[in-house]
Amino acid sequence: MTAPERTPSAGRLLGPTKDAATAAPLLRVRDLAITYEGGVAPAPASISFEIAAGEVVLLLGPSGSGKSTLTLALNGLIPHAIPATVAGAVAVSGVVTTSTTVAELSSRVGMVFQDPDAQLVTGTLLDEVAFGPENLRMPLADVLDRAEVALRRVGLWERRSENPDRLSGGGRQRLAIACALAMGSPLLVLDEPTANLDPRGIEEVYDALAELVAAGDRAILLVEHNLDAAVGFIDRVLVLDQEGRLAADGSVDDVLRARADELHAMGVWLPVSALAALRLRRAGFALDPLPLTPAELHAALEAAEAPTRAVLRTDSPDSAGSGRIGPIPRADPENGTPLIEVRGLTLRRGRTTVLHDVDLDVREGEFVAVVGANGAGKTTLIQAIAGVVPPPRGSVRVGDPSSGAGHRLDVGRTDSRTLSSRIGFVFQNPEHQFIAHTVFDEIAHGLRLRHLPDDEVRERTEALLDRFDLRAKAQSHPFLLSGGQKRRLSVGTALVTGGLFTGAPILALDEPTFGQDRARADELLALLRELNDEGTTILVVTHDMQLVTEYTAHTVVMADGRILRAGTTADVFADDDLIERAGLRPPPLRRALRGLTRHPELARLARFADLPGGAA
Amino acid sequence: MTDRAPVLAVQTPPAGFDPYVDRVQASPVRFLYGLNPLAKLVAPLPAMALLIFVRDAATPVAFLLLSYLLLFVGVNFTRRLAALLLIALPVGAAAIGFGFSLWTDAARVDQSVVIWQLGPWTLYGGALAVGFATGLRLASIVALALIAGLSTTGPDVVRASVQQLRVPYRIGYTALAAFRFVPRFGHELEVIRQAHRVRGAHGGRGPFSAIARWFGYVVPLLAGAIRHAERVALAMDARAFGAHPDRTERHLVPWRARDTVFVVLFWIASAAIFWFFFPWGLA
Repeated sequence: MTAPERTPSAGRLLGPTKDAATAAPLLRVRDLAITYEGGVAPAPASISFEIAAGEVVLLLGPSGSGKSTLTLALNGLIPHAIPATVAGAVAVSGVVTTSTTVAELSSRVGMVFQDPDAQLVTGTLLDEVAFGPENLRMPLADVLDRAEVALRRVGLWERRSENPDRLSGGGRQRLAIACALAMGSPLLVLDEPTANLDPRGIEEVYDALAELVAAGDRAILLVEHNLDAAVGFIDRVLVLDQEGRLAADGSVDDVLRARADELHAMGVWLPVSALAALRLRRAGFALDPLPLTPAELHAALEAAEAPTRAVLRTDSPDSAGSGRIGPIPRADPENGTPLIEVRGLTLRRGRTTVLHDVDLDVREGEFVAVVGANGAGKTTLIQAIAGVVPPPRGSVRVGDPSSGAGHRLDVGRTDSRTLSSRIGFVFQNPEHQFIAHTVFDEIAHGLRLRHLPDDEVRERTEALLDRFDLRAKAQSHPFLLSGGQKRRLSVGTALVTGGLFTGAPILALDEPTFGQDRARADELLALLRELNDEGTTILVVTHDMQLVTEYTAHTVVMADGRILRAGTTADVFADDDLIERAGLRPPPLRRALRGLTRHPELARLARFADLPGGAA
Repeated sequence: MTDRAPVLAVQTPPAGFDPYVDRVQASPVRFLYGLNPLAKLVAPLPAMALLIFVRDAATPVAFLLLSYLLLFVGVNFTRRLAALLLIALPVGAAAIGFGFSLWTDAARVDQSVVIWQLGPWTLYGGALAVGFATGLRLASIVALALIAGLSTTGPDVVRASVQQLRVPYRIGYTALAAFRFVPRFGHELEVIRQAHRVRGAHGGRGPFSAIARWFGYVVPLLAGAIRHAERVALAMDARAFGAHPDRTERHLVPWRARDTVFVVLFWIASAAIFWFFFPWGLA
């Protein structure tokens, strides 16, 4: 990361020393418990902590522990804008949030939310940043001063007259940070600011944040699951447990390094490098203190003695090379016709060509990731394969074993009903795909379209509900499910007509982990791997490079509507130059392990599952 | 103050209508940009209202000429302006005029001139006159509306309504923020339609299944819209929106003497045209 790394404990010591002992702390939370209307248990539940001026605090916790709820309470949105029962108290610079207004608090606590699009109000960057100070009735000259300072700090001053729509996702989130800065508040609260961004956007936002931290004039409370980027400039870590209680509060050393095992067991997501180090420790590597960033892991491994052969269990070079655990690919890459065959696919949208003359083969049983920078044509490619966007005739063919060997469907000529029995497509937002009023009907819909007898529809639907752990929700409205359940249901609906009929279904997913926390992303990917092991061919578009390397056997790298490389995941990510050209970043584990001289057997690995120490 | 570069309408990306484009920098001759948006809306209003009840052709033509004169002098001459005024509007007027002349009840028009005969059906000159009067009437109303439409930006209308009409700024600026929702929902609707098509949910052809289909889009669209609106509202609250009864206004849109002059002159010109042609003959 480009973030300047501060010594973990320096800020902790610096922060409170500045006459903070006498004055009221910047933020004081006392026995805070929040229960939403209709909620059963409070989350967070009775937590207390303080934040001093200039401190940079990371808030961690498994999903459902109340992290976002806590952030909303800090500037009074809870309970002023969102009804909830609040016990205990939050005081900002001595002002209790419940006894004042959100507007009053807005100049004390600046907020940055997850979705950059939902924070835009006006037509130019300058107007956007000026919006807050204007609402505070500041004099014109002050408004402009603040706007300029804030925009300069995030590097957007030169683009001040542009429409925010023309910024990238990372740019818009930087704008949101500038807007929060312009409120002049000494405390900045960021709730998963990078969850909706691609790798380049994440880097942009963290560069901006690192500069803020370096200036040291604002305290920051950060909720983030992308720890690999954040851990470099954090002073202090707060951890909420599953019940919403404060489980840990201390420096990075005391919490992340010393109690990593405990946090991991609690369901808190740790930096990939820390997880890898825990695993390598089990394999016998002496990694102490626990490395948290790729650079630290790299250095620690170079310094560490290799364990004796008896302890070290590397997987066979063969499986590491093919980048796959579990069953080996069903189809021999050299033999047989591919299941999906793309030839000379060119697609235009309006006047721009989105795909240029793309050729691609996907064999039965493969788990393929499609990666690339924004606008590279990833989504369009899998949409064309699934017929969501009709491809030109003859350019995409899909094998159809149900109608005899060798028969191929021309996606460009096939009607959507036939096509949906071969390829299921899962959209980014599962809600978009729901068409029925109960979960049962949602699954049964595809079967009824095929005029199956009622008994069979019921039988197959129930089997699928069991399979996806949705039986108890069969009569619920799909929109009332939790996020993870909605996602499972959308996969189920895409699969129900395909898989159960022809035995070799194809599933295409468009950024299924976008905007989700790690636990949910992992749950989904584990489900996909199970399906893949049962024979489903899977194509997935994603920005999450570590996820790609963990789960997929093959990777297709795209840039500017062309395929740069299609090959095994291990080969693709071993080619740093290729990754760079595609505008991507190597996954954290790859960054840590590449170029290791002391342990050459680790230097080629990019996947978690290939690390020694997994069996423990 | 701000040294912002002018963003001209012609430079905007082909994404379509942008309600936020900055006001255009232009030479003083292009006087329409310098007027208060409310003046440009109020001035042609009486004429637009009265034109609805006009039946002749001369009055609309007079107003059409007046608006074209104002637009060609008062607004930057761009290719878009030329296409709109010289092609789109005349073609539209002709199409409507021709359509209405076919539609008019032949028994009730002047049948002295026969234009076209097809079997038992005859197109009379009278019908053509009635149709084209209608086309011209609509065109003149549109042209009058374009006086404000081509020289005003969305935020300026909001600012003027807040500053002169005393519309509460919370309503004005919320309306402005809502403009952002439009392209977003358009995109979301497109994705939902794709997703439903993939599910094989088209349910057949015909108007009834089309209605059923559209109802199916409403639930996910509304769910997304409400969630998005809530988030935007929280983000605005967090930036002190609505904290005080008024807010700092960086862009003043004053009502100056020239606005009054423009409105009065326009009203006099309108009255003169109506008086001269007096399209409500006693006959």
